[in-house]
Amino acid sequence: MANKPQGRSHQLLQILLYPLNWLEERTSLPGRSGIVGGIKYFLFRKVPSDISWGHTLGSAALTAFIVQAVTGVILAMYYKPDPNSAYESIRHITDDLWAGWLVRGMHRWGASVFIILLFLHMGRVFLYGAYKYPRELNWIIGVLILVLGMMEGFFGYLLPWDQTAYWATVVGVNLQATGPFVGPFLGDVLRGGSEIGPDTLARFYSLHMLVIPGALAALIGLHLWLVVRIGVSSPPWSPTEAGRPEPGPPPAPRKGLVAPAPRNGLAAPVSRGARRR
Amino acid sequence: MNRRLEERRAYHARYKQTVKTRGKPFFPYAMFHDTVMSLLVVCLIVALAVIWKYTANEGTGEHDSGWLGKLYDEKADPGTTNFVPRPDWYFYFLFYLLRIFKWPDSVILGTVGIPTVALLLLLALPFIDIGRERRPMRRPVAMTAAVLTIITMGVLTYKGATAKEPLAAENLVLVPKWAAKQGFAGNQTAVDGAKIFAQVGCMNCHTYLGAGTSNLGAPDLSKIGKTSNRGVAGFATYVSDPSKFGNNVMPQFKDLGADNLRKLGTFLQSSGTCSPKTDTCPAAGGQ
Ligand code: HEC
Ligand code: HEM
Repeated sequence: MANKPQGRSHQLLQILLYPLNWLEERTSLPGRSGIVGGIKYFLFRKVPSDISWGHTLGSAALTAFIVQAVTGVILAMYYKPDPNSAYESIRHITDDLWAGWLVRGMHRWGASVFIILLFLHMGRVFLYGAYKYPRELNWIIGVLILVLGMMEGFFGYLLPWDQTAYWATVVGVNLQATGPFVGPFLGDVLRGGSEIGPDTLARFYSLHMLVIPGALAALIGLHLWLVVRIGVSSPPWSPTEAGRPEPGPPPAPRKGLVAPAPRNGLAAPVSRGARRR
Repeated sequence: MNRRLEERRAYHARYKQTVKTRGKPFFPYAMFHDTVMSLLVVCLIVALAVIWKYTANEGTGEHDSGWLGKLYDEKADPGTTNFVPRPDWYFYFLFYLLRIFKWPDSVILGTVGIPTVALLLLLALPFIDIGRERRPMRRPVAMTAAVLTIITMGVLTYKGATAKEPLAAENLVLVPKWAAKQGFAGNQTAVDGAKIFAQVGCMNCHTYLGAGTSNLGAPDLSKIGKTSNRGVAGFATYVSDPSKFGNNVMPQFKDLGADNLRKLGTFLQSSGTCSPKTDTCPAAGGQ
């Protein structure tokens, strides 16, 4: 580091950057970047120039998940997971607490928004053929996230301990218990006995606020890590699609068919021209 | 096989190269879109919560429901059994599957079979559809499958949302109420018959004490013991093969077996003929 006199602004910058450099030095291996380098890479990594709104559905789902996490933590401060007071605690949250209805309402409706966004995001990935090599693993992780997300909804549904919640869960668990071999066992494990009662509620609460969200968070982390590693795909119909062979291979005229010669002859140079832009 | 792998690798290498040379940085371009979208999501969630709160009344009754439903239902009461359970909307399709695959033979298909197969197919998608082509118009099979899946899910969800026919498991919880109301609680054979009645699909055509759906002109059976009065054996014969009695709409239930038919018959004969006050029923065998 040269010790030449520098301008004020440079000195200021050095002071501001000091904590960042401190962090970086303490989180990096020789020759590899640490936290700060990682974040820089994340922010300034190149993405295909033709991505657009379709690609925002993943982060929209992430936002919905974060909303669920935050509102869920607040609800957990007031909710009481036992059949004698669960229902009353929900009413207390909705009626008495300042903005309690807002937090509960956001958690309740956010769950549906989250599920819808998952389906939309999955639809986007499907439409773009983005589950193909090398993104197969991320598709699988995504499906697991979807299943866990729906299970999260199932276990959360009982918590208000009202009639809808109770009877939907009675039927839901009965249905699981119809499964072959492990079915009845699974039913008993979920209920924590042969009836839906205090043990069931505690079980569902623990699954709903610890086990499944933990698994979801881990899978989401893995999912995003892979997204950054591999990179997001270009829209396949884009004239500048990243990865398309260049120049585009002229579609081989099929034998036995009248080859649409003029179209082929024209299309190739045009699309090649577009790709040069 | 090897060529396919090579092609894919080359494709991805080209992808990386193109992104490196002609891509744009995530920040601020993509991040801008993501942020706008995320803000929209949060606004949407807040808006839903506000609409939910301000269109609903503070109560638990039917009329307290706002645009997005009630603020709360009544407290759970394991004692009441006349409650029709509804899961959250994203389970409606499963719910409806169970109405297609009826108790008791094929219900496993609805609860376990089809969902498992669907899930496995979804997981295996990248290994089934292994072509390199990504343009939707050139993936006719994948696109057709997707459209059919979406339509199926949509229809199942809609049907599940609007379905009125009760599920076997839902009917089953009604049995104690029937027994109390009709006065056959003390007659175990009748109670067993009621359980069979609730599960084998009778209630997709017949109503019973306000539950079930009326279909194909099937009569309400709440008082059938009184109005028809065929006796236990008579009802058993009728249900076993209704076509012998000129009823070609109702399916035969011979397969239930003599024992179950006798129970069913006892239940039917006890409907409308027992005395809830004294808890007495006509002796088995009908009057
Ligand atoms: C597909 C629809 C359908 C199903 C399922 C069905 N029924 Fe019926 N059932 C009918 C119809 C229609 C009639 C009226 C026929 C008539 O009166 O001609 C009827 C009539 C009856 C009657 C009246 C007989 C009488 O004495 O008048 C009884 C009892 C009865 N069903 C019992 C049952 C039982 C028990 C089951 C289930 C094991 C069942 N039904 C399932 C359609 C159905
Ligand atoms: C909490 C749930 C999820 C979060 C937070 C999430 C987040 C993301 C993000 C931010 C991206 C980057 C591109 C984009 O936004 O479209 C992405 C890509 C991807 N996601 Fe998800 N996702 C989730 C669920 C799912 C599900 C349910 C699936 C499918 C079953 C899935 C499959 C994929 C695949 C294959 C990609 C790569 C797409 C490409 O490269 O174009 N994800 N995800």
